[in-house]
Amino acid sequence: MKMMWFHLMPYPALPEDFNTKHHSVWVDIDPKLFDREVMAETYSTYIDQLVYAEDCGFDGICVNEHHNNGYGLMPSPNLIASILASRTSRAAITVLGNSVALYNPPIRVAEEFAMLDLFSRGRLIAGFPVGTPMDTTYSYSANPSQLRPKYYEGIELIMRAWQATEPFSFNGRFNQLRYVNPVPRPWQSPHPPVWIPGGGSVETWDFCAANDFVYGALTYYGYKMVRENVAGYWRSVEAHGKDDNPNRLAVTQFIGVADTDAEAYKLYREPAEYFFNRSLHVYPGFADAPGYVTEASVRARYKSQVRQVVRSKQAKHDLTWDEMVENGYVVIGSPDTVREQLEEAATELRIGHLCTMLQFGNMSDELTRYNTKLFGDKVAPGLRSVFSEYADPWWPSGATA
Amino acid sequence: MSNKRLVYLFGVAGHAELSPALRALESDGWEIVVPTVPGFDGESGFVAPDEYLDWITTFWDALDATGALPCPVVGASLGGMVAAELAALRPEMVTKLALLAPFGICDGDDPGFDLYAVPAPERMAHLFAKGVPDAFANRFADKGDEEAPVARYVSDIASASMLWPFGDRGTAKRLHRITQPRLTMWGELDELIPVSTSARWGSDVRVVPGAGHLLEWDAPDEVTSALRAFLA
Repeated sequence: MKMMWFHLMPYPALPEDFNTKHHSVWVDIDPKLFDREVMAETYSTYIDQLVYAEDCGFDGICVNEHHNNGYGLMPSPNLIASILASRTSRAAITVLGNSVALYNPPIRVAEEFAMLDLFSRGRLIAGFPVGTPMDTTYSYSANPSQLRPKYYEGIELIMRAWQATEPFSFNGRFNQLRYVNPVPRPWQSPHPPVWIPGGGSVETWDFCAANDFVYGALTYYGYKMVRENVAGYWRSVEAHGKDDNPNRLAVTQFIGVADTDAEAYKLYREPAEYFFNRSLHVYPGFADAPGYVTEASVRARYKSQVRQVVRSKQAKHDLTWDEMVENGYVVIGSPDTVREQLEEAATELRIGHLCTMLQFGNMSDELTRYNTKLFGDKVAPGLRSVFSEYADPWWPSGATA
Repeated sequence: MSNKRLVYLFGVAGHAELSPALRALESDGWEIVVPTVPGFDGESGFVAPDEYLDWITTFWDALDATGALPCPVVGASLGGMVAAELAALRPEMVTKLALLAPFGICDGDDPGFDLYAVPAPERMAHLFAKGVPDAFANRFADKGDEEAPVARYVSDIASASMLWPFGDRGTAKRLHRITQPRLTMWGELDELIPVSTSARWGSDVRVVPGAGHLLEWDAPDEVTSALRAFLA
């Protein structure tokens, strides 16, 4: 199993009364909350942490895209990836990813990803999320009904552009381009590996299975919450007649390691509470633009009473630390405790790529590095053997971490 | 089909039933023709048109199918935007044009309340200043507890896709082409399209005190009286 190091880049200084005094961490968050000194220092610190992750032996380092967002400060993940490409030499540069429907034309993604792949000499993993409704339909005012078809057409165009041996014209539903000819083309041939982050829609499972893309079950709520989602994905893989290579899957997990279970419980409480009960203060009205999800998904949602109860608890941001630990939102403990839980999770869900989230909330740089090094030294070695018998054709050719 | 007929183009919440104002016109002998438009009927399998022009042709297909045009057209809210486009681009089809708080022109400095940035169960309350009429509160209830919210979601998809992000599709550029007799009314308490925007439709907008966005429901007597005089 590959160990990835995933950074959300949260703003670490939201006020204590944020939940009561502010409408939402996303879309209409008050820009005055962001101090430029804190921002500049935060970016610098976080980029250093990603580089440090390579030093600690992580196979890949990951960034993602969010807009108008106080817990994800990367509206342009490609800018961060560009810095990482020049400051690292072995780890996979994992951009998870570019929300294709927001780029006009999507050829821009083909171009920038090609540049990143060349900067890093073939270490890019190209991620194409649909993007949350907050990022797409509200922050960028993308029409929710058009988002998914535009996204699919964009990916089709990017994949074709990367592999075309001569310029071509494209007269699509959303894109009309007379001379498609991105220069440069990527380092990796025929193209960088493609990973698709998803939140549980049947359409994304099928899309990944049909196209042999990695499915990224990117959840904030841990492997226990994503079981149903992942099970659905594997059913789709089987239905498409594909093998069950675990490297078809990536899963995110918040993790806090310490010398003892008790120490971990003490150390990681505050950053977890900051993240889950403050950073995720998202106004519910921004989560459900009509047309963002399909009619079928809405019908399924209304039938899932259990999910509604859990969702309502999450939305209220009054989770206790014990609930977070009990529910597996954060896997904490000594190296052995953490390794055992993650091995169990990996085996159960068939995880080939574990996207560890070892910085979360307002976690200090010191604690982040401690967590990262301890995981890298004492947990990762015991997990790498899981599914090691499988080849990973979804791994960038230039990554040697 | 009666010679005393008019076409009614419904608003952002779709067509639940005729408002009291339109029922009054019906009792005057008017035949009220309401086109059936995909999506707004809440039926399963709806795919939103790609662009505004596609939506306009969808509405025109539905209108042409009624066989009612040419005749007076009353358009409310989202339907007002469509009615204005019809009057501008197919003037021979519209003999008189009545607009009730039409979308189509937005003041970027005051775009109005974002109806789709609140949870779905809270949306209806922002369309009316005097409470949500039963017709809208119970819309699609006949489909049952599990399907009714799905139908409402489909209807919301239709209106949202047409209006996203704030219902300005360049109608202002075509206003000069509307030469038919025109009545424009606006609710003083319209949350979705602030009454200040109404001035962009002309200097003779009739503002109805105490009425919200779907003013024909909040102020039926005043809207009925105005429509009766206008259509006479």
